[in-house]
Amino acid sequence: MSNTRSTSTHELTVSGRVGVRDYVSSGAPYVWLTASAIAVSIIITVALLALTAVRGIAHFWPADLLEASYVEPGHAPFPVLAEVRSSEEVTVARLINAGIPVSEDQDLYQRLLLKVGNRDIYGADFRYVLDEWMQERSYPEDATVWERVEWGNLHGFLERVTRDGEVIAARDQRWDAYRDVQKRANGLREEIREIEKDRIGAVNYKLERLRLAEKRLQLDGKSRASDAPAFAKIDAERDALKQRYDTLNQERGDLYRELGRDSITVRTIDGDLHEIPLSKLISGWQPNRMNVFQKTGFWLEHFWQFISDDPREANTEGGIFPAIFGTVLMVILMSIFVTPFGILAALYLREYAAQGPVTRAIRIAVNNLAGVPSIVYGMFGLGFFVYFLGGSIDRLFYPEAAPAPVFGTPGLMWSSLTLALLTLPVVIVATEEGLARIPRSIREASLALGATKAETLWRVVLPMSSPAMMTGLILAIARAAGETAPLMLVGVVKLAPNLPIDGNFPFFHFERKFMHLGFHIYDVGFQSPNVEAARPLVYATSFLLVMVIVILNIAAITIRNRLRERYKALEH
Amino acid sequence: MTGVQNKTPLTHGIDIDALKREQAGSNLEDETIALEVEKLDLYYGPKQALKGIDMQIPQKKVTAFIGPSGCGKSTLLRCFNRMNDLVDGCHIDGEIRLHGKNIFDRDVDAAMLRRRVGMVFQKPNPFPKSIYENVAYGMRLAGVDKKRVIDDTVEWALKGAALWDEVKDRLNDSALGLSGGQQQRLVIARAIAIHPEVILLDEPCSALDPISTLKVEELINDLKDRYTIVIVTHNMQQAARVSDYTAFMYMGELVEYGNTDQLFTKPVKKQTEDYITGRYG
Repeated sequence: MSNTRSTSTHELTVSGRVGVRDYVSSGAPYVWLTASAIAVSIIITVALLALTAVRGIAHFWPADLLEASYVEPGHAPFPVLAEVRSSEEVTVARLINAGIPVSEDQDLYQRLLLKVGNRDIYGADFRYVLDEWMQERSYPEDATVWERVEWGNLHGFLERVTRDGEVIAARDQRWDAYRDVQKRANGLREEIREIEKDRIGAVNYKLERLRLAEKRLQLDGKSRASDAPAFAKIDAERDALKQRYDTLNQERGDLYRELGRDSITVRTIDGDLHEIPLSKLISGWQPNRMNVFQKTGFWLEHFWQFISDDPREANTEGGIFPAIFGTVLMVILMSIFVTPFGILAALYLREYAAQGPVTRAIRIAVNNLAGVPSIVYGMFGLGFFVYFLGGSIDRLFYPEAAPAPVFGTPGLMWSSLTLALLTLPVVIVATEEGLARIPRSIREASLALGATKAETLWRVVLPMSSPAMMTGLILAIARAAGETAPLMLVGVVKLAPNLPIDGNFPFFHFERKFMHLGFHIYDVGFQSPNVEAARPLVYATSFLLVMVIVILNIAAITIRNRLRERYKALEH
Repeated sequence: MTGVQNKTPLTHGIDIDALKREQAGSNLEDETIALEVEKLDLYYGPKQALKGIDMQIPQKKVTAFIGPSGCGKSTLLRCFNRMNDLVDGCHIDGEIRLHGKNIFDRDVDAAMLRRRVGMVFQKPNPFPKSIYENVAYGMRLAGVDKKRVIDDTVEWALKGAALWDEVKDRLNDSALGLSGGQQQRLVIARAIAIHPEVILLDEPCSALDPISTLKVEELINDLKDRYTIVIVTHNMQQAARVSDYTAFMYMGELVEYGNTDQLFTKPVKKQTEDYITGRYG
């Protein structure tokens, strides 16, 4: 700028640049632009995880029980013993609209959402109250929450513990006594569950197979007269099973009787006494007495139960284990179907097919398949896999089960196949790209050593492109694990009585319907009668779904990185 | 190029007299012939890349192809093991006979042919496998599965390629960890492990540093007792150093072919002389 500056300095420094144009050409805006895109992505991802995690997982934290008297003007005081779930500011107009007699002097009121529990008594677990009208607040040490088999939680105070109608603890030791009987009851319930679900379930399963076997014999034109030994064998087996069933049933009856011996008496906040058999209770805790460590332990335990238990009460209570299991199994099966199929298709397209207009058209078609809405795949799966393939399988191999379908009904296998179809384009495209990236020199090296094309593909090209295949699989998993819409048509249900893998021969029951986290979210969130109870579960389930996808992806990425390490020749 | 270099023959620095002494009397007519090329025309689509090539490659000698880029020397080399089969739109007329058998005959299996005619490429191209597996690759293809036989052959081939001492302690390490020169010798070991008769070298030293180049050249010298070697090179000193016979190609035609010594000292054709003295632009 000054005339004294030498020419050479002038050319080398950019201090003279001041205009917008110069700023743009300096490249700095692009750095900012690209970096902000990444920043937004990261923020959204973290926010999503944080929101679902906080809203969902916090649900399992044992909240303190607030005792208070709710005094609504014009009404009798109403005693509450409740957890404060949330608190918000509400305008006076909204409250007046809702018919609540508030004074208009104040613009905003603090409104609390209380979980009062005792749905069997009050009709609803949740209640909105105005902060102002809550009086005589206290946190009594012995306020207790019980998780029940049905009707949600019970809030109250333990009065006494009874066995066979006789009070065994009424005063200071009653809490310890309760914990003992609860432990005993849970043990018994576990035994009963084992008998009912596993052992009686197995007997029923075998009986059903015998029934089918007998029907099969009849369909084959055999009768009791012509084939006495075959029928006799079936009858003998059936008798044995029935006998076994009777024994188990008796055992179960004994256990139930044993379970029915204990009960507790609970005083609810309105002063009523309720006698509740231990068979109805799952656990009880006194949150106001617990310190932070006890609460943390409780929280971990209940979060684990959420992950590992079966759902109860229209999916609003209990855990979501069958949904996690179903999701993971479905994704694994899908991977097993889609990987070989996609790799073979890509191999043909890239390695064998003549590269002409037809191949190009096929490639375009494959790419477009990736854009077909997933519900369309669901329709196709229902029409082709379930009705056509499944129906044909039933007609050919399971005539004895008619009219009940075996494979001709939505199920895990058809869901996996439908999703395999849905994710096939991703695998094909990724594999093709991987194959295209194998250097010609490596193929020539193999051919020059006397390998045929097939040998070269098998020994050199396929192993080297395996990381690309894994990339395709990772994308496929990410898409399949979150897919819900098509599954509703081809196999997902709200509540599946059995897991698709169990102890009954042949152990894998892929024709069964299954539960899925994505559908579970929809079901709990939108189909549940108990909206307030369901909301945190929706968050928790969403969080777990994301976690399942993350874990599946991490597993696949780990495998890919190992493969890359092994075949890193592509870098030069 | 500057004028000074232009006028200096590229054979400068080679002990021509020593070459003469060594190869005195060696004459194509006196050699056993391994490969015979007859009226070979090759087309890439409509473009003719080789025009009426006739030549004879002597057994257990080193034959070098020289010529400017794009003259067809690599193409001709790749005909010997039918690597051109893989090129779309490549069409070949004429014959190449390996010990009298035309390799383009229908009953000739390209994979079997390539086991007898090995090839080493311009850039070292080891597989992303261990050193051992690289050398064993061809044997495994041929169906050899006795571990002892493979072990022995791997050792023999690596020794043959003058690489054994450098890698004997890390046979199971990845071949990609070797230096460029070592990789190229590994690739040569891989080629000789299946006992070919002919080894085709397609500019084997063009991606190597001078020291590695020297090692590979020494190796070629050692190998010629046992194998027929055909080498394509851009480097005329190299051709002069390693080969017994040299073919000069230009624009798809074989211009001059004969004793290396004679070709570099008393070329018959004007084109050859222009090329070896560096007068081609």
